[in-house]
Amino acid sequence: MFKKIKRNLKIFLLFGYQSLKTTGQSRQAIFIFTLGKILRFIFLFGVIFLVFSKTKIIAGWSLKQAVILYLTFNFIDTFSQLLYREVYRFRPQVISGNLDLILVKPYHPFLRVLVGGVDFLDLLLLVPYFFILLFFIFQEKISFFSFFLYLTLVMNGLIISTAFHISVLALGLLTTEVDNAIMIYRDILNLGRFPIEIYQQIISFIFTFIIPIGVMITFPVKALFHFLSFNNVVFSFFISFFLLLLSIKFWQIGLKKYQSAGG
Amino acid sequence: MIVVKNLTKIYKVYRKTGNLINDIFFRRYEDILALDKVSFEIGKNELVGFIGPNGAGKTTTLKILSGILYPTSGKVFVLGFSPFEKKEAFLKQISFVMGQRNQLIWDLPAIDTFLLNKEIYELDEEKFKKNLQKLTAIFSAEKLIQKPVKMLSLGERMKMEFIAALLHQPKIVFLDEPTIGLDIFSQEAIRNFIKDYQKEFKATIILTSHYLEDVKRLSKRLIIINKGKILYDGSLTAILQKFSSVKYVSLILEKEIKKEVLFKIGKPIAYQFPKVVFRIQKKDLPQVVTYINDQIPYLDLAIEDEKIEEVIKNLFENHKD
Repeated sequence: MFKKIKRNLKIFLLFGYQSLKTTGQSRQAIFIFTLGKILRFIFLFGVIFLVFSKTKIIAGWSLKQAVILYLTFNFIDTFSQLLYREVYRFRPQVISGNLDLILVKPYHPFLRVLVGGVDFLDLLLLVPYFFILLFFIFQEKISFFSFFLYLTLVMNGLIISTAFHISVLALGLLTTEVDNAIMIYRDILNLGRFPIEIYQQIISFIFTFIIPIGVMITFPVKALFHFLSFNNVVFSFFISFFLLLLSIKFWQIGLKKYQSAGG
Repeated sequence: MIVVKNLTKIYKVYRKTGNLINDIFFRRYEDILALDKVSFEIGKNELVGFIGPNGAGKTTTLKILSGILYPTSGKVFVLGFSPFEKKEAFLKQISFVMGQRNQLIWDLPAIDTFLLNKEIYELDEEKFKKNLQKLTAIFSAEKLIQKPVKMLSLGERMKMEFIAALLHQPKIVFLDEPTIGLDIFSQEAIRNFIKDYQKEFKATIILTSHYLEDVKRLSKRLIIINKGKILYDGSLTAILQKFSSVKYVSLILEKEIKKEVLFKIGKPIAYQFPKVVFRIQKKDLPQVVTYINDQIPYLDLAIEDEKIEEVIKNLFENHKD
């Protein structure tokens, strides 16, 4: 078991290294993409600051809490993009038939199609995001337990994100007709930049129980500020576990139904 | 080594009706029978050629044997494994090369992919170096491995694909149209490589190709498949005995003779003095040769088998609906 984990880790790191080397091939692209991401961050940060500074509390959230929520969203979103960048390239792999050559390799295909293309440009942003997030969190009076629960729920959010990404891969196996399913996920996730309470009750319900972006982003921050009930904490872990299992099952069905290009 | 029993594969294909509403809400799917109860066995160190027109089921068979596709029904065992289970122990012993598809990292030199495969297949340093040296030597490609893949020609890239696929010395190699799109020199290099590789590493190789020349040059055993059914499974030489009923008789005439005498053999398929070629039924050969010896003055006589391409073409035509 340990040997297998070690080997998988080694392959993952090698894929990461190759990805870094590939990224390094185009310096102009590095500059443009990084600049674009920084501008996007600054712009949205500005919007949130503007909205919340005009009103003391929106839907029960203060400015500082909203900023932490926004930074938490950015951390989870950037971390997912960093780790799961290869998902964005999955459809071309299916269409070109190159996926077949991945499926005959003696490792779990997720090592390649899920985490095989770590985006180091996102790493450049993730580190400052992380420290800005910590800076804002430690401005508040936070207990060790709530901080620990916050971190655990952020990781739980990453598990939900993993499940979404696996589902996108599975969908790519089943049909090539849905173009850029990952962008649908991104669009929905973007709604999680704001507390789910600002949405109407029905949408808030959907974002908690059906497409749980609220569980991914709002719940950890609520836990940080003691807004989250015990039941919701338990529910968070349950839903992430359930979605992960479901997505893996979906992937397995996808593999069975996969027809391969030109087959 | 490979056992296939009653293998069937059905693809579900979405059929557009042209009516937008129907196409969105009431989709129609059609079952396409790609393989129809196919059975065969392949032993160790065999090189088998799979021949068939487009959509015959060649690639589907290879993809099922390698675990890429899930069979609809039937039994498949490769090296004692059920391929679709994708056990690491199984995948470490096989390799798949597909013409015009690549596993190489596009922006980096091929050596980077080789180093990646070294870890994936858990090759020790010594074995990796030895195999890499051997394989690059067969292709005379020592310098190419350091060149970025995107800078290589198609032929050079295929050579690198082969090296990447065979570094771990797989026991079974699936080659799907490995020479497609290549110029004649690259085709030749790939053919020689396959031959040398099999000789050196005693691998079992299954090859599909549109170029009959590939199969003729490399395989002793031929499996002909059409519309998901095996039409023939046997040696290249036996196919002529089984399916060819004609021989070609070529004569170089000594002098011009009356057409009535010459055409008594039959209508020639080519006649330009002094050469004349007849296509005759095998059963008539003894009488025809006797007649020629008795009646026709000639300088040279040659009797040839029907070309294998022609036999296969006829076989496919006879199995049209």
